Amino acid sequence: MNVNYLTAVMLLALTGALLPVINRLFRISSVLGGVISTFGYLVALFLLLISDTGRSLLNGFFTTDEVSRLLGILILVSSWMLALVVYWITKRDKFVNELIASVMVSTAGALLLLCSKNFISLVIAMELMTMPTYLMVLFAFNEESFEAGVKYFFNGALAVGFILFGVSILYGMTGDFTFKALASNLFKDPLVALAALFILAGFGFKITAFPFHFWGPDVYDGTCPGVAALLTGISKSAAFIALMRVVFEALPVISEHLSLIFALIAAITMTLGNLLALAQRRVSRILAYSSVAHAGYTLVAFASLSVPMSITGILYHSVAYVFMKTAAFLSFAVLLYIWGARTMDDYKGLGKREPVLGALFLIFLFSLAGVPPMAGFISKVFVFTAAVKAGMTWLALVGLLNSAFSVAYYIWIAKQMYLEEPTIEKPVNSANKVWAVVPLAVMAVILIVLGVWVNPVLNASALYISRLGF
Amino acid sequence: MVLLSMILVPIIAAPFAWLGERLNKDIPKFLSLAVGVFLSLCTAYLIVKYPGNGFAFNEVYKIYPPFDFNLHLAVDGISLLLLGITAFLAITVTLSSWNVDRPGAYFFLILLFLGPMVGVFASLNLIWFFIFWEFTLVPMFFHIGIWGAENRIYAAMKFFIYTHLASVFLLLGIIVLFLHTGTFEFEKLVGIHLEPSVAKLIWILMFIGFAVKMPVVPFHTWLPDAHVQAPSPISVFLAGLLLKMGAYGLLRWEIFLFPSTTKFFAPLMAFIAVLTIFYAGFRALAEDHIKRMVAYSSINHMGFVLLALASLTAAGFSAAVYEMLGHALVISLLFMVAGYIHHKTHTWYISEMGGLMKKIPLLMTMFVIGVLAAVGLPGTAGFVGEFSVMLAAFDYWGWIMVIVPLASALSAGFFMWMLQRAVFGPFSELVKNLSLKELPLVENIPLAMYIAAFILTGVVPSLVFSLFNPAVNTFAQLFK
Repeated sequence: MNVNYLTAVMLLALTGALLPVINRLFRISSVLGGVISTFGYLVALFLLLISDTGRSLLNGFFTTDEVSRLLGILILVSSWMLALVVYWITKRDKFVNELIASVMVSTAGALLLLCSKNFISLVIAMELMTMPTYLMVLFAFNEESFEAGVKYFFNGALAVGFILFGVSILYGMTGDFTFKALASNLFKDPLVALAALFILAGFGFKITAFPFHFWGPDVYDGTCPGVAALLTGISKSAAFIALMRVVFEALPVISEHLSLIFALIAAITMTLGNLLALAQRRVSRILAYSSVAHAGYTLVAFASLSVPMSITGILYHSVAYVFMKTAAFLSFAVLLYIWGARTMDDYKGLGKREPVLGALFLIFLFSLAGVPPMAGFISKVFVFTAAVKAGMTWLALVGLLNSAFSVAYYIWIAKQMYLEEPTIEKPVNSANKVWAVVPLAVMAVILIVLGVWVNPVLNASALYISRLGF
Repeated sequence: MVLLSMILVPIIAAPFAWLGERLNKDIPKFLSLAVGVFLSLCTAYLIVKYPGNGFAFNEVYKIYPPFDFNLHLAVDGISLLLLGITAFLAITVTLSSWNVDRPGAYFFLILLFLGPMVGVFASLNLIWFFIFWEFTLVPMFFHIGIWGAENRIYAAMKFFIYTHLASVFLLLGIIVLFLHTGTFEFEKLVGIHLEPSVAKLIWILMFIGFAVKMPVVPFHTWLPDAHVQAPSPISVFLAGLLLKMGAYGLLRWEIFLFPSTTKFFAPLMAFIAVLTIFYAGFRALAEDHIKRMVAYSSINHMGFVLLALASLTAAGFSAAVYEMLGHALVISLLFMVAGYIHHKTHTWYISEMGGLMKKIPLLMTMFVIGVLAAVGLPGTAGFVGEFSVMLAAFDYWGWIMVIVPLASALSAGFFMWMLQRAVFGPFSELVKNLSLKELPLVENIPLAMYIAAFILTGVVPSLVFSLFNPAVNTFAQLFK
């Protein structure tokens, strides 16, 4: 049995659980907290790197394969970078260690979600990932974040409710929780199909797909941006992978029917996300709606599920997404902390004030827009290649046109930062920026490397495809 | 390693230009000049060592062989010529921007632009071609948006969104092509058989991408704005390199790959070309804004390139490639001088100028030489280019092409009229009261280099023709 992966998850969660305790006892500073959490991340990362693949854990509840290993490493790295940046921007807050503790526990849940093998482990992992985030959304402790927290809690509860309802119907009809049970009994009883529908709807909430997307931008905008980075980057990416497992391992028989539904949802989601993003004045809302649009792009890959390339597309897009979205929100968080910049008007001339941070933010924005050589470009290539290969050229065209028009708002931020004259005179907080710049730079480098060196992701997807038996 | 180093050295040098500014304001420009010299030396080495035909200097960096996602660099005569233009313009543009403000960021972007530019012309892998192609937009956007004229932000946004939208069609074409052939490699794609309907779809998708870059009517509207608002040295890059990317991509990745489909669409190409030539010509005639006029004449020349390509003969392709060189040298000179005129007189409008020749004779003499070359004076590259284009067009399309010399007359018309109003003639109210100075030496050198280059290639055209003719002849066999 492969204990390394499980140990990594448990150590991460334990470090997260102990951090508040240590903080209560010894009143540690944010620097010491950063060191402790970094230690936890490093140990977990090391264990993930040496973990082997193709084993199942806890009697078939979890499986570690190449997909969970690759995504696990990448999610862990981006979560670590997120923790460092969040420490930096909230170092004066006395609850910062508790916040990071929640980040670590939530990340542990995301790691488990990547390798869940049946519906019970899926729900458990998803709850482990989500529960700490209910606390985190309230962290900013202002009116906006209360509203966001309530919205997020009810929507999250609804999502899990949908999934649990679907799973309980499934168990009632088949007496089995495994993905295979759903696959083999789908047409035996209409109730099982209803179960599948409920499970998919639950996922729709998680990945903010139309028509379950309403909560997304409000929550991402209302809470503090460091938390939004985790919600929209890491949690969503893990949910993409879990959805991929459900679709390809539990629902392979109805791919033809699902395909068109996914295609329509994808087309609506990305168009809606991009159109609404164009209309926003606040940068956090632009990023939030672009996150909705990106859920649409991923759904394009899901829609082309009749071809193996779709797995490559989903995987690559999740990989790129976890870095570019997390990093984009973190850049926004850092700029908010230093300059108090919220709206597009505040962003005027910010690139001249913060050349390095601005350039990093641009890298993430261009990656989101799909400009080479960042990973966001090559992931879009795979997503749309899958769509064309599955015979949905119209969907690929819709997606590509969406992607082209989405450039308008990304480039608008670039324009505000570099082509306009500054409006904000003085920084709100001035501090040594090294610990904000280094993690973001690491993420930018990974993003560029993954945009050119495609092997890790393509190899993982090739192995997964061959194991599925396409 | 030579080709890879030509791509990587500028990119690696770029951050040093940015950082170097803090030490000394002169570091960026000397670094950029050094990279320009390096590119020229590399190109010279490649030209000397080039065996005469076929693809040489193959460098394959395998990344993911199952999808042919490999960086494959190699050059033939056509790419070598375009690499030569890139290296030449790298030097002249650096010299022309000698006293730019905020040199660190400026030359950072110049260097960031040059590396992918080399990649576009040297890549034999379609997806890498696209990666380089698309990345060139980013530095250009900031160049236009930061150092441009009054309306720069609008122009930069329009440039980026418009050309990015076009690239989307190109990318879709590439994806469809990949799915039907399973490869991105040029050498595997040449002569591959596709169903005619698929080939036509791919052809149209890719043509939109290339046509916007070239640009041809009706996809040209981004260019006058971008050119007018961009600083003059960046206009040189736009006209000299960015437009060439479109023409080169059309030739290499579309005409050579789909000979029979191109034959099907050749009348369309010729029609668009003639339309472009006349539309741009008449727009230039009506234009009072001097840089906008030069921009339309640039579109007019790219129409000639497309016309030559549409003839689908060895002579036509040769003429097109030659015309690309001529256009790069001549239009660059005109853009630079138009920029200087504005810098000195603070007006863009021809109607407000007059008698400039008496005030700044040296600059205006160079301007007149450039205009004459653009019109097609024998002894300059402009003549050889236009003449060979017309020959090829006559040869293939017959007497219908008698209208093309008329277009040449049109171009002579708008240029001469502009000269008569702006450069010669009596002083205008505005110019009379100005005390104008000639340019400093460092800004005159690039202008002299353009003139020397287009006279040299105009007097001895075989210098360049011999470089790319074997390659062109090989590919022209596909159309027999």
